[in-house]
Amino acid sequence: MPVNHLVAVPMLIAISTAIVTLLTKGAPRVQRGLSFLGVLGYAASVAVLVTAVVPGNVLTYQLGAWPAPFGITLVADSLSVFMLAISATVAVPALVFSVRFVDEFGQRLSYHPLFHFMLVGVTGSFLTGDIFNLFVWFEVMLMSTYVLVVFYGGAEHTRAALNYVVLNLVGSAVMLLAIGGLYATTGTLNMADIATRLADPAAYGVDVAPVLGLSALLFVVFALKAGIVPFQFWVPAAYKAAPAPVTAMLAGVVKKVGVYAIIRLYFGVFAAATVPVSLPGISGDSVLAFYGPVMFVLATVSVVFGGVAAIGRDDLDGLLAYSSIGQIGFIILPLAIAATIPDLRGIAIVAALVYTLNHALAKALLFLVAGTVEEVAGTTDFHAVSGLSRVAPVVTGSFLVGGLALVGIPPLTGFFGKLFVFQTAVDAGSTGGLIVALFGAILTIMYISRAWNRGFWGEPTTATESIDPDPTEVAMLVVLALAIVLLGVGFDPVYRFADAASQAALDQQAYVDAVQLQVLSGGEHA
Amino acid sequence: MTGSAVLPETVLAIVLGVLFSLGTFLVLRRDVVRVVWGVAILSQSANVYLVTMGHIGGSVPVLSHHGGGGHGAVTDPLVQALVLTAIVIGFGTTAFALVLTYRVYEEHGTIDTAEIREVR
Repeated sequence: MPVNHLVAVPMLIAISTAIVTLLTKGAPRVQRGLSFLGVLGYAASVAVLVTAVVPGNVLTYQLGAWPAPFGITLVADSLSVFMLAISATVAVPALVFSVRFVDEFGQRLSYHPLFHFMLVGVTGSFLTGDIFNLFVWFEVMLMSTYVLVVFYGGAEHTRAALNYVVLNLVGSAVMLLAIGGLYATTGTLNMADIATRLADPAAYGVDVAPVLGLSALLFVVFALKAGIVPFQFWVPAAYKAAPAPVTAMLAGVVKKVGVYAIIRLYFGVFAAATVPVSLPGISGDSVLAFYGPVMFVLATVSVVFGGVAAIGRDDLDGLLAYSSIGQIGFIILPLAIAATIPDLRGIAIVAALVYTLNHALAKALLFLVAGTVEEVAGTTDFHAVSGLSRVAPVVTGSFLVGGLALVGIPPLTGFFGKLFVFQTAVDAGSTGGLIVALFGAILTIMYISRAWNRGFWGEPTTATESIDPDPTEVAMLVVLALAIVLLGVGFDPVYRFADAASQAALDQQAYVDAVQLQVLSGGEHA
Repeated sequence: MTGSAVLPETVLAIVLGVLFSLGTFLVLRRDVVRVVWGVAILSQSANVYLVTMGHIGGSVPVLSHHGGGGHGAVTDPLVQALVLTAIVIGFGTTAFALVLTYRVYEEHGTIDTAEIREVR
């Protein structure tokens, strides 16, 4: 098998698993077994892809052997596989957790196929080299998450799902508009082709000015998926409504698709275009120069809003959901600096990626902790839950690891995430960036210690005095906690991986070369 | 050909404007069914917009391109493929949104978004 075919394997495994779990509805044990094997196979295929791509290779797979840009291209470079590695790392424990967590009826009905279709959508989004297919994979991912958010079907869940669905449907319409506009402007949908044409607009007769507006429209959609303020209002309700392992996937993986799309499209594709921007406070002639201040404001508001709202929450679920909004600000902050200062793009994207990895692992772990607590105590309300450290030491320990990773205590992954964010701000000489990061860090310490004091410390209450968490679920908490510790202690390979991903995101030429565009001349095949 | 090409584009631009305003108006209603209608209209107007992007001026089907007709007389086939995909996705999501509306009605006993918010 040619090495390029590896690119399609994770997707094929996820699709096949989704289908066989759908067909084996009648035999729940078989279904669960296949689902488990499927997610393991997915992780294994991602691991193989990672070793084939890192360092520095770009693998492409042309669907149906149609040459780019006529066919659909799948591209795996270091950035794509970095994100895939995150999704595989979160998906395996989340799936095993849900086998014990989600009720028998729900699992038999539709849980496993939906989970795998969500993985299909995520994987497709990370691998596609075609902007319209990005839309299609987004839809595949979203449609599964719609159903997963409403999974329990109670009054509160339908309300959350309604908001989530309507917002995302409007978002999809906007995305379609932006893509249609980009196609009309650049004459192509292939990302590598768009980059090529934007780099030399005169040769292809491309008018670059509309691209700025269209990319801004597209940015709104990605910001909506990533849950950046002011597009965050669906996040708390949807995260609270979905089953805990699904929330872990939503916060850990699905949200990161928006981040990935921003890095890939704005730093890899639109960065090629030059538009004279003459707005107050914006310098430079790159399309990206426009996004620097925009992202900075969004990141600042996200950090402040998410942090302050998290402190005000009286339940672990809600606290974590709002914290998710604040933490996404930490990912966007270095990107804002990267957009403004071209020299710092390498380190800034490393910062964003390391923070993404940390947030994915830590937040997935914390949501699973919240799920475990809710299952045994019936609620995550701090008024009812207290003294968990006495009765559930392993769960408490996992919460501590996840919480400290969010705060950024060495040697956990969170320390390096925060370190790189601060490093980027210092290198940029951005006082504003430092203040935001510092303020956000203080807010994080406040809400994590508040959750710790109220939920885990103190005397057990009637709800928590005789609880007995499921050992498999606890084992998955330990797996994620260990991953955070091990990746933090052995950070060097993670850094090299993130660095390769950052270089891949910025190296347009390598990306374009790998896609091997067929040149059009005079409307006919060359 | 220019005369016949300008007219449909002007008409389409007006239609698009009307559709988008209607969709936006409906999405902002309190009645959930109207919101779903609004979303459906918005996504369909995005589809119409996509078709418009494919240079509506073309008058020749793609297959007759061989052997005759200058470049530019062909309507872009790609946008039609895109629109078909988008339509299928739109049907799926609209169906889901309608089922969800019914479920919301069952759970809350109302489809007024203001009243739904009060239930907790």
